[in-house]
Amino acid sequence: MSATIVQSLTLPITGIVISLIVYLIGMGLFKISHGFFLFTPLLVGMVLGIAILVVWAKCTGSTTAAVYKKFYLPGGNLIFWFLNPATMAFAIPLYRRNDIFKKYWLDVILTLFVGGFLSLFLIHGVAKVFALSRVSTAAMLPQAATTAVAMPVAQGIGGDPAVTAMACILNAVIIYALAEFLIKVLRLNKISKIGTGLGLGSAGHTVGSAKAVQLGSIQGAMAAVAVVIVSLAMDVLVPIYAHLFM
Amino acid sequence: MKKEQPKEQQKKAAPILVQMGIFAAILFVSQLISDLFPKSFVVPTPLIGMILLYILLATHIVKLEQVEKFGDFMISLIAFLFVPSGIQLAGSLGLMKREGLQDVIVIIISTIILLAVIAYVGTFFVGIHNKITGNKKGED
Repeated sequence: MSATIVQSLTLPITGIVISLIVYLIGMGLFKISHGFFLFTPLLVGMVLGIAILVVWAKCTGSTTAAVYKKFYLPGGNLIFWFLNPATMAFAIPLYRRNDIFKKYWLDVILTLFVGGFLSLFLIHGVAKVFALSRVSTAAMLPQAATTAVAMPVAQGIGGDPAVTAMACILNAVIIYALAEFLIKVLRLNKISKIGTGLGLGSAGHTVGSAKAVQLGSIQGAMAAVAVVIVSLAMDVLVPIYAHLFM
Repeated sequence: MKKEQPKEQQKKAAPILVQMGIFAAILFVSQLISDLFPKSFVVPTPLIGMILLYILLATHIVKLEQVEKFGDFMISLIAFLFVPSGIQLAGSLGLMKREGLQDVIVIIISTIILLAVIAYVGTFFVGIHNKITGNKKGED
């Protein structure tokens, strides 16, 4: 009897239900708190989801990683797969403002390469201030790229790809939670929309782009293109930077 | 604007299954292309898919109304689709024991750095561009 239940729980529906419920709780909290940034659905969903798995592991006397793998991952992977068409879909906001991209494509490429290189210095500096190990520092550098690009790049320069994955995920969560606040504090609403869009796409990956789409069509288009080009930029720049300065 | 809408609506929206089919076909091709890249220069499938879809749209092979509805829907879902990635960190809680707190702090600061630096560098370049071309309006 209990064996069949355990068997059923390993089906994808477990992960799907957990993801949906924690996200919906997040949406509810976000609404009740009138948009308090710590209650953004993504952040709440992530924290609650991890908490559920930790408690589950404690109750069954197993490790969190094992519970995650056995019970959450089948459903999680299913949802995760849909990030593929979702990322692809950003071609649409980009195409809608093709006029802007056609006019400013050189600025976009220059910005992402020059800005990306400058960011590497600063991120390296911050990592030094917090006395991170070499492995973690190297893992921090390529985080502007999407996870699938950043992980092998980090590995190539001696970083821990697991830390890089964490960085890419947290980037998105942070931008999703703090975008409005950061835009106000950094006065991004006063500067170029193109710049803001590129920044959101680079810092927050596809989730940042989704935020940018909400801000406006120019920001959305620029964030979409930033996701692609900043990944290519990191692919090229990080090994060079690591070779020169680490 | 409102007068144009009925006209647009006639043209609009291929059936959702057709839209999904277009997405799936492009993704499939992207996967095959992605496999061609060497391990040292990974170009992930969705990025190739995005580039392909953009090219198809720009060359008018695929019309906006054939992908728009499903695409916008997927974009609106993206925060939810990201939940499994967040929960994925449960699998690497062991990392946190090493120097996790510093890592997280550095990641938070790095995110802000990326946003600020790229936004301002972008504004700088766009400003120069507009000065050269004499476009005083700024980017519309």
